[in-house]
Amino acid sequence: METDGFEQLKNQIQELLQEAEQLILQIPKIQLYTAIGVVLLPIFLFLLVRLFKRSKHNTIVLTGLSGSGKTVLFYQLRDGSFHQGTVTSMEPNEGTFVLHYEMSKKGKIKPVHIVDVPGHSRLRPKLDAFLPQAAGIVFVVDALQFLPNCRAASEYLYEILTGASVVRKKIPVLILCNKVDKVTAHTKEFIRKQLEKEIDKLRTSRTALSAADIANEYSLGVPGEAFAFSQCQNRVTVTEASGLTGEISQLELFIREHVKA
Amino acid sequence: MLEQLLIFTRGGLILWTCKELGNALKGSPIDTLIRSCLLEERSGAASYNYDAPGAAYTLKWTFHNEMGLVFVAVYQRILHLLYVDDLLAMMKQEFLEIYDPKRTVYNDFDDVFRQLRKEAEARAEEMKKSKQVSQLTNSNIGKNQGKVQKSGLRGGNEKKSGRVSGNDDGDGENLKGQKTENGHANGNHIATNKSPSMGIVNRTENGSSDTGAFNVNKLQKLRAKGGKKTDTVVNKSSKEEPKKKMTKKNRVWNDSPEEPKLDFTDPVSENGEENIAVVAADEGESMMDKEEIISSESETEEDEEAEKDGKVETKKKGWFSSMFQSIAGNANLEKADLEPALKALKDRLMTKNVAEEIAEKLCESVAASLEGKKLASFTRISSTVQAAMEEALVRILTPRRSIDILRDVHAAKEQRKPYVVVFVGVNGVGKSTNLAKVAYWLQQHEVNVMMAACDTFRSGAVEQLRTHARRLQIPIFEKGYEKDPAIVAKEAIQEATRNGSDVVLVDTAGRMQDNEPLMRALSKLIYLNNPDLVLFVGEALVGNDAVDQLSKFNQKLADLSTSPNPSLIDGILLTKFDTIDDKVGAALSMVYISGAPVMFVGCGQSYTDLKKLNIKSIVKTLLK
Repeated sequence: METDGFEQLKNQIQELLQEAEQLILQIPKIQLYTAIGVVLLPIFLFLLVRLFKRSKHNTIVLTGLSGSGKTVLFYQLRDGSFHQGTVTSMEPNEGTFVLHYEMSKKGKIKPVHIVDVPGHSRLRPKLDAFLPQAAGIVFVVDALQFLPNCRAASEYLYEILTGASVVRKKIPVLILCNKVDKVTAHTKEFIRKQLEKEIDKLRTSRTALSAADIANEYSLGVPGEAFAFSQCQNRVTVTEASGLTGEISQLELFIREHVKA
Repeated sequence: MLEQLLIFTRGGLILWTCKELGNALKGSPIDTLIRSCLLEERSGAASYNYDAPGAAYTLKWTFHNEMGLVFVAVYQRILHLLYVDDLLAMMKQEFLEIYDPKRTVYNDFDDVFRQLRKEAEARAEEMKKSKQVSQLTNSNIGKNQGKVQKSGLRGGNEKKSGRVSGNDDGDGENLKGQKTENGHANGNHIATNKSPSMGIVNRTENGSSDTGAFNVNKLQKLRAKGGKKTDTVVNKSSKEEPKKKMTKKNRVWNDSPEEPKLDFTDPVSENGEENIAVVAADEGESMMDKEEIISSESETEEDEEAEKDGKVETKKKGWFSSMFQSIAGNANLEKADLEPALKALKDRLMTKNVAEEIAEKLCESVAASLEGKKLASFTRISSTVQAAMEEALVRILTPRRSIDILRDVHAAKEQRKPYVVVFVGVNGVGKSTNLAKVAYWLQQHEVNVMMAACDTFRSGAVEQLRTHARRLQIPIFEKGYEKDPAIVAKEAIQEATRNGSDVVLVDTAGRMQDNEPLMRALSKLIYLNNPDLVLFVGEALVGNDAVDQLSKFNQKLADLSTSPNPSLIDGILLTKFDTIDDKVGAALSMVYISGAPVMFVGCGQSYTDLKKLNIKSIVKTLLK
């Protein structure tokens, strides 16, 4: 009984197909081809555009510990001043704009997409959403309160440097020592050495832990030698800046370098 | 008077501060508010108290979720300003009219603000006057109403005997006498100040009962007034208790001579190592080092369930208009819309063994963060609420500080002192078992471990640890029974420094959180030895008691410590995880109430059954 019904269905379908074929053959060929072209062309163009777009990353990610001055830097880049001050961010600040110091330049300048990710440890997962599209990472370090936060900062930096997308795409990292306008701020050389030492220690303890985490983490530097930022595959540089006074020329250079105008 | 008023974006930029109140705030109350309250999912609370040297502030806030704005008012705690909530609400309305996402300067808001403040203050004055007039007339009616409504609200935990006899004689004294004092969750401070009459309290109680949340503070105040008679009784009994329990002498029933001490410790202790076959301590890799395979389940199951709940509950707006709005995406989320979805979510959390209080607070916090937001197109209310709750849960369970113990151990090693870990908890949660598991794991990472048997009360505790130590081949420091645990711990740490151990694991006796003298002894142990890590061991089977346990432990450690910087619970060890199927809510309750991260999870009784908490899978299980 069932096979009967099935046979009937098959026959019906075959009949329908035959009718459809006849209909199609009746339509003049030109019309048929134009109809197909109209449908396929946008799809083709769309795919082409997407292919091109994907190779362009023009996002700069500002990250670092909570309280290091990322939001101030973001607003300095955008408006040239930090207005009435900032508090701990609860959400990322995103914006696509022409850098403030370049507003006065003539000619067509490409806007930059900058994201300021909150540094609070509970909001760490938000960073992972932005890393894949990053063209450059700026890790902001508080040069004033560096020593109490040294371990936390180096752990965060270690996590970033060993993240999958950073290693694979060799995203350049700029370590920005902020708040250098204060008298008791540490120098960038000191900060660099301290960070290298801490990351060296982290290397040994982390690789002991995560025999299984290899999918997510890569090991840094050369085993057996003390870690140095020059050993990283991606470029890691250290510079100074001061968000409050507006001395952010190094940061602007970095941005322009990695997002072509 | 108000100290400061701020409007800032969720991204962190301050948009407006009140220029008239130019007082500089001591400390950093706003940042602390954000870090300890708003980011900890406690934004459903009414206010936040901040203490800095030289100032005590209270902060109140309100959100505008659609535009991502936060309005905060700061004032001195000793002033009880009634108009702050109104003022914040009015400010929100007025500010929205001039708000523009591109603008960053809002100086014209100053005049508007001045007007609003005058209005709010005037309104508060009116309310105060009307309260004082009606208090005299409404005392009887108000009292009964208040009592009846309170007993109606009584949810699971509170063990108060709500004896609401229909008291028509209006004699306040009778009612007060009937209230019996039971152990209350937050520790009784029986305030002895009395306000003129019960009328005001009942009126405010009526008001608060509408919100549906059981306001513990008001209850305490009410009980304080009612507890005057029972007050003295309670004080006497609590004074007697510590005296009784200070020294535990054996009861002598007749004149028989004192029995010899019952100490059946194996005299073969030293030589026992040859007799007992050393079981190979190598049982393979501890599960701490294994990666967990996260099963990706389809989400269609929970979607269907949610849909059923949604359809049953939301028949208010009418099906067609709500469907249309969810497609067009223009609906503004109101509290009434959120309630059914939140209630369903709260029930679901509670079936997963999350403490009732915690589930309630979480739902309030999620509601506060969603109110006023516009629905994205093609989304139902329930799915928006679900997404918000998921984000909140991930945020709570993500540790606030690094939980890399090996790193800390290395750091302590460099300073040439041992890293001390103390295991605390109530009776029978698995402290000794999990101590052995942690020792095994540390041993596998080439760390020299030493155990300290500071459980000098329970029979067999020292033997238990001795057996573990023998199997794992690690040194153990013990002094037998009936010794002061704090001294034993101190000597153990000295021994560890001498023989070069990297880590000292201190086992303590289990104790109930209500037991004052035992908690004092624990606090003394911690204060004397200053451990690097205080691990609270809690079992995953615990239900609503988790809240009580953790809050009391933390409170006692803070109160009874004599140093200005008391060391609180630094981490949680969740045990017996293999016995709960998918009722993983205890993890959430414990983390929420204490703020400490879950460092280990014990999932079995052999040495390898120790693993890390997988946040994503827990959140998924909780919301399934």
